[in-house]
Amino acid sequence: MSGPEIWRRWALALPSVVVIMLFSILPLGVVLVYSFLTPGDFGNVKWIFSTEGWFSVLFERNIFDDTISLSDANLTILLRSVLLAIVTTMITLVFGLPTAWFIATRAPAQRNLWLFLITIPFWTNLLVRTIAVQEMIRSEGVFNRILLALGIIDAPIQMMFTDFAVLLGMTYVYLPLMVLPVYAAIEKFDFRLAEASYDLYASRFFCLRRVILPLIRPGVIAGSILVFVPALGAYVTPRIMGGGKSMMLGNLIDLQFGQGRNWPLGAALSIALTVLVLLALIWYTRLTSGRKENDHV
Amino acid sequence: MLDIRGLSKRFGYGKGEVTALHEVSFSIAEGEFFTLLGPSGCGKTTLLRLIAGFIGPSGGSLVLDGKDIAAMPPNQRPVNTVFQSYALFPHMTVGQNVAFALEAQGRPKSEIDPAVEKMLTLVQLLHLKNRKSSELSGGQQQRVALARALVAKPRILLLDEPLSALDMKLRKDMQIELKRLQRETGLTFIFVTHDQEEALTMSDRIAVMSGGRVQQIATPRELYDRPANRFVAGFIGESNFLSGKATGGVVEVAGGRIALPDATDGAVTLMIRPEHVVLSANAPDALQLEATIAQLVFFGTDTHVHLTLSDGEKLVARVQNALHGGLSLNEGDRITISLPDKALRVVKDEEIAA
Amino acid sequence: MSKRSFDVTRLPGTAVIAMTCFVILYIPMAILVGYSFNAGKVIGNWEGASVKWYGAALQNQAFLNAALNSLILATTASVISTLFATMAALATTRTEKFRGEGAIHIILNQPLMVPEIVLAIALVIIVGQIKQMTGYTGLGFLIAAHTTFCIPFAYLPIRARLEGMDLSLETAAADLYASRFYTFRRVTLPLLAPGILSGFMLAFVVSLDDLIISDFLKSPGQDTLPTYLMGELKRNLTSEIYAISSLLLLLSVLIVAGSWVATRKKD
Repeated sequence: MSGPEIWRRWALALPSVVVIMLFSILPLGVVLVYSFLTPGDFGNVKWIFSTEGWFSVLFERNIFDDTISLSDANLTILLRSVLLAIVTTMITLVFGLPTAWFIATRAPAQRNLWLFLITIPFWTNLLVRTIAVQEMIRSEGVFNRILLALGIIDAPIQMMFTDFAVLLGMTYVYLPLMVLPVYAAIEKFDFRLAEASYDLYASRFFCLRRVILPLIRPGVIAGSILVFVPALGAYVTPRIMGGGKSMMLGNLIDLQFGQGRNWPLGAALSIALTVLVLLALIWYTRLTSGRKENDHV
Repeated sequence: MLDIRGLSKRFGYGKGEVTALHEVSFSIAEGEFFTLLGPSGCGKTTLLRLIAGFIGPSGGSLVLDGKDIAAMPPNQRPVNTVFQSYALFPHMTVGQNVAFALEAQGRPKSEIDPAVEKMLTLVQLLHLKNRKSSELSGGQQQRVALARALVAKPRILLLDEPLSALDMKLRKDMQIELKRLQRETGLTFIFVTHDQEEALTMSDRIAVMSGGRVQQIATPRELYDRPANRFVAGFIGESNFLSGKATGGVVEVAGGRIALPDATDGAVTLMIRPEHVVLSANAPDALQLEATIAQLVFFGTDTHVHLTLSDGEKLVARVQNALHGGLSLNEGDRITISLPDKALRVVKDEEIAA
Repeated sequence: MSKRSFDVTRLPGTAVIAMTCFVILYIPMAILVGYSFNAGKVIGNWEGASVKWYGAALQNQAFLNAALNSLILATTASVISTLFATMAALATTRTEKFRGEGAIHIILNQPLMVPEIVLAIALVIIVGQIKQMTGYTGLGFLIAAHTTFCIPFAYLPIRARLEGMDLSLETAAADLYASRFYTFRRVTLPLLAPGILSGFMLAFVVSLDDLIISDFLKSPGQDTLPTYLMGELKRNLTSEIYAISSLLLLLSVLIVAGSWVATRKKD
């Protein structure tokens, strides 16, 4: 491609590039800088270099004798975030894969209806869906009222503000994110290949394991990353379902900029969370690289 | 009318650089049906795209009617293309597709409408004028693509393997149709194909390409009878190749000897077409060789006789069943065959791309 | 013979799990909508069917204000981001690799790689400073932020459409004497339209869906639907909240149905 053509293309991309640079990349740079500053007295920062923010991500200093120990609270939240994100991904996969298969193998007219039904929650406000799932398990919610009415329990079971509640909420809101990419992969799958494998004496399980799963793998990986990444950085769902009891990283960051008044720690946690997400994305591109179509000459 | 001088094209840069075309030069005359023939990757499509202006050359010049057009953008060249995939605009009707070039040139509607009607009549598709192009059959799309490329009266029509997507029967019909169109319009056609039969039946002249180089430019007849090198001989029609040794104009092959004046001393390759191999010892001025019949393959009109020579080299002879039906040949027979010197050609190895 | 033929598309158990999935997805939403018609204020106590909470919502000035803000914000941000994303998609497709293409690609997708809460924090630090320095507290900050995270969403379908487009169509137009602009207007744009439409829809919904960034950046009086809902949620669960939620649900059904109809017509 010639010089002027390259300039023309850069010029076309420029508005988007400038907007994202100004309102996403530059602010992130500021966060990175803030993570190395000293907390101000009433929030904000003092412009004094410090690694205390990063130190506090994992450790805490005893204010009386200055001894250093691992920060149980932060570690618990970190571990919970990663674990809940992984388990959410696994559960949505277990439910999402068969659902995607079901939709993809319907007759075309019927398929559109099922696809429509999975798209509606996908496009529905996250907060609204979280409110809906909250109604199911809150103390005065549907489950407790049914159980009370049936006389199975005497007092409401406390299900809200637990890891279970957060997990349920995230599974509910992220399920459509898993179904759609897996569906796209299965829809492209050439069922003559399955026929060929059955012709060659494969059992259903063998065909699934050796033919179908390897070929729809890109869709499964895409779905997993689409669930895992927002789950790891989730804020709204754990805030409503977990409250102050079952916090995730997103809520811990929010806390540092609010009541915690420790902006450098919040900034360091933000960078750490971003790095975790990036690692997941890099792992994803590694897994799928070499599958992209070649560029035309 | 079109002079191609030292035209070359390289893709990529640095270590990834690939030369698709090596300084190709030739001329095409007004009204000629000229074919670029070669296997995939030989550079024929690159050459076509250079002429159309979709890519720029890395070197050399393209002179059309005395004017160098190498730097001219495609939308100013009086050259139109029929694409392999037809590239009909899916959101337009047949009529809109055909009208496109004239509208793009800003011609008045009073001129466009009759021109479109005339073109559609020429390709016998006037009744489909208001159909969406995606609703047509392959053969019809092909005709629309032709009409669309012809409507603005180009100096040269480029055809990029336009028949490859059609089935056998339709392809034969379209070959005749194309030839008719070319005669009626008197236009210069440059036709790209990998199908030698297509090239031989339709072209006035053929350029055989391989490895980004033109191996030979000749009429179909010449190409078949006097291939310039081993590549052309192997690509056009069927050929037998025998390796021998020449000393003083006499070639020694598989235990036989024959005088061939144009053989230079050293290792040589001889070529002979299967239909020229005589399955008996009594031909005059011929190379006589001992052979064993390895296999007989029946083809209806003729039979292919696969032979093994005394030194293990293989040779195929073709005998017409109508003429030699009585010939009693059996697999395993040892016979003497004759290769007439008029049918034997010394062939050079082709130039190989660097 | 009543033996069923062997169906390669059948996997035992998938239908059961799929049905479970749909039931799980729809029951909570159905219950939410059901309770929005409760005449009583307390959600658990059914006091007969009524649409009075919808009436209440439609007379609630704070809610109407939030709805208007959401509409202005989503429309502006998605129009700008779709325009920019279309230009960017045209810059990065249908070409051999060029210097800087990789960088453009990474930048365009960058907002997707950062958790929303992190972007919200990052923006609030900077926007807070600007608000202090300039005294400006208008919707501009929210529009800029929404445009930013909407660009990659609008970019995705437009780019996909462009990549799926037959390259030879534009080449053919150029061959048939069309100038660059003529080709764009007559060939590229009409073929790209469905992609631009779905990019716009995606951007619109993503902007409408945003809670975190709006919540962090908004100045007083700039509540959007999600931030208003979240604020109410913190106070008390009422039937009115469920009515408003149901309205939002209805809106997404309408959008999905609308895009469904639009794409069916196009193809």
